Amino acid sequence: MTEGVTKQYPKNVGRPPALDGVSLSIRPGGIYGLIGPNGAGKTTIIRICSTQLLPTAGTVTILGHDAIADPRSVRTRIAVIPQESRPLYFLNVDELVYLYLKMRGMDRAESRRRTNAVLEELGLVEERKRLVSRLSGGMRRRAMVAMVLASDAEVLFLDEPTTGLDPLARREVWGAIRRTIRDHRTVILTTHYLDEAEQLASRIALLDRGKVLLEGTADDLRARVRRPYRVTVDSRVPRTELERYGDVTDVDGGHLVFTRESDARELALKALGAGARVSMGPVSLEDVFLQVVGRPIDDGTTGEEAA
Amino acid sequence: MTERHRLRSVLTLAYLNGIVPMRTQPLFLVSVLASPLSFLFFVTIASHGLYLKYAVTGGMLFTMLSIGTSLQTDLTHYRTDLKLQDMVVASPVEGPVYVTGLALSELLYSLPGLAVFAALWATGGPALGATGTYAWPVNLPNALTIGFTLVIVWGFASALGFTLATYFEDVREIFLFSSLISLGLTVFPPVYYPLSALPAWAQTIAYFSPTTYAAQLLHATTSAAATPVGSLAADWGVLIAFTVGLLFLAAAKARWREP
Ligand SMILES: Nc1ncnc2c1ncn2[C@@H]1O[C@H](COP(=O)(O)OP(=O)(O)O)[C@@H](O)[C@H]1O
Ligand SMILES: [Mg+2]
Repeated sequence: MTEGVTKQYPKNVGRPPALDGVSLSIRPGGIYGLIGPNGAGKTTIIRICSTQLLPTAGTVTILGHDAIADPRSVRTRIAVIPQESRPLYFLNVDELVYLYLKMRGMDRAESRRRTNAVLEELGLVEERKRLVSRLSGGMRRRAMVAMVLASDAEVLFLDEPTTGLDPLARREVWGAIRRTIRDHRTVILTTHYLDEAEQLASRIALLDRGKVLLEGTADDLRARVRRPYRVTVDSRVPRTELERYGDVTDVDGGHLVFTRESDARELALKALGAGARVSMGPVSLEDVFLQVVGRPIDDGTTGEEAA
Repeated sequence: MTERHRLRSVLTLAYLNGIVPMRTQPLFLVSVLASPLSFLFFVTIASHGLYLKYAVTGGMLFTMLSIGTSLQTDLTHYRTDLKLQDMVVASPVEGPVYVTGLALSELLYSLPGLAVFAALWATGGPALGATGTYAWPVNLPNALTIGFTLVIVWGFASALGFTLATYFEDVREIFLFSSLISLGLTVFPPVYYPLSALPAWAQTIAYFSPTTYAAQLLHATTSAAATPVGSLAADWGVLIAFTVGLLFLAAAKARWREP
């Protein structure tokens, strides 16, 4: 869908580009996750693909239409929830969805039918007459998901739909998003919660500093790292003994070792023999990020600051 | 989008931003009336009733002009704070449809205010205690002149509000500038009083404000002395030229997709 997309914001000339030759091929259907730390370029690529922003170079094709030369054909087929967007507070939940559909040009009967269906589906029927300004954060996001979900758009772009929500509310929104996978619809979602990407997305692209570092299913991503197993042992086992098995990082009350599968088993048995507490398993996407990028995804710095 | 879809889209935007907020916060309607009515009050008292005939149509003009400010505020708020404009860009709704819909919503919102002034006008003065030279003729041609002038002012104010909205990043900046703009467009130009009340040098400056021409047209309906004979056509011409110019500027300035 995108080919060599580069973006240099006019305001930032002289600094590294926000996107540097991003090529992604996203097959229709299912949820596609774009992950990466703050400043990686997730929002920039979403805004370019959804015809809100022009790239400096590269091509973007959405459902066979050129998003740069022919944005109109793309716009009739997409819907987006921008990062940090908020619904119009003086509407109630029902109006929010219904009027969004009518604004997109849908007729009254169809808008009504789809609004009723989506409120039912996302469990918002009891809230339909409540003003969106009175809803909790999670409920408000769900209402926004309902808007785009009820539309006839074939590609939905959701930019950080759960950022700032508590874990329970995040799960509510996940449920809503999961229901959007049907009718060959494609959802492109960005997040910096890697567990979320893993939960929701069938394929994932890992972005950092404007470049795609890895692309594939969560398992593909794991398989691409040199040491796809993680073993944590408590501090009864000295660090020096661990180092020959792989990369060791100190964590609370012990050590974290990234290693290969065979070494993981050997290390675990040995540590158990020494009476230490051990846990092992495949690496998480956080670990993948740490290994590929060399810093944790949530270390508080943006790609820009670290650069 | 076909024309039918566009119309539906415009009407939906007008409804959601013009009618729905009335229901949730009816007090806003009163606040729309507050400034134009208090100007009318002061001008009438200070002139011992002499300027009431100017202030009645002046209040309508003021109300229409404030549509520009409301549009500008809403556009900026929806773009920067709610990211609503981003949602709309990435949808079948085109830029002119969005702006027209919102401009229409501001008009709907001002209708109750306009109705109050229209009712004052329709009394012709006597009901307000104005008689003789203080009263004005109430007839259909005058009503039509007022209606047409106000529609053009609506287009003018909306185009201005839209153009200014593209310059501001922050709603707070708007509050700062809108008071200056309304000073320049409504208080200084002869909206509430006749142009002849200004000294000659100030009249010259006033001719740079499009509101002066709209005010001349409106005042001519309530006061035979308001306009020198023969310049009404010129007033129409200048007002329409200003409006068309601003509409072109707005279209040229419109930044729907960010570069
Ligand atoms: N409107 C803008 N103008 C200038 N620079 C921008 C703009 N938006 C984003 N950037 C820069 O582009 C880079 C990528 O940002 P963004 O796409 O928002 O990343 P993400 O969504 O992954 O956090 C960052 O360095 C950011 O500072
Ligand atoms: Mg972002």
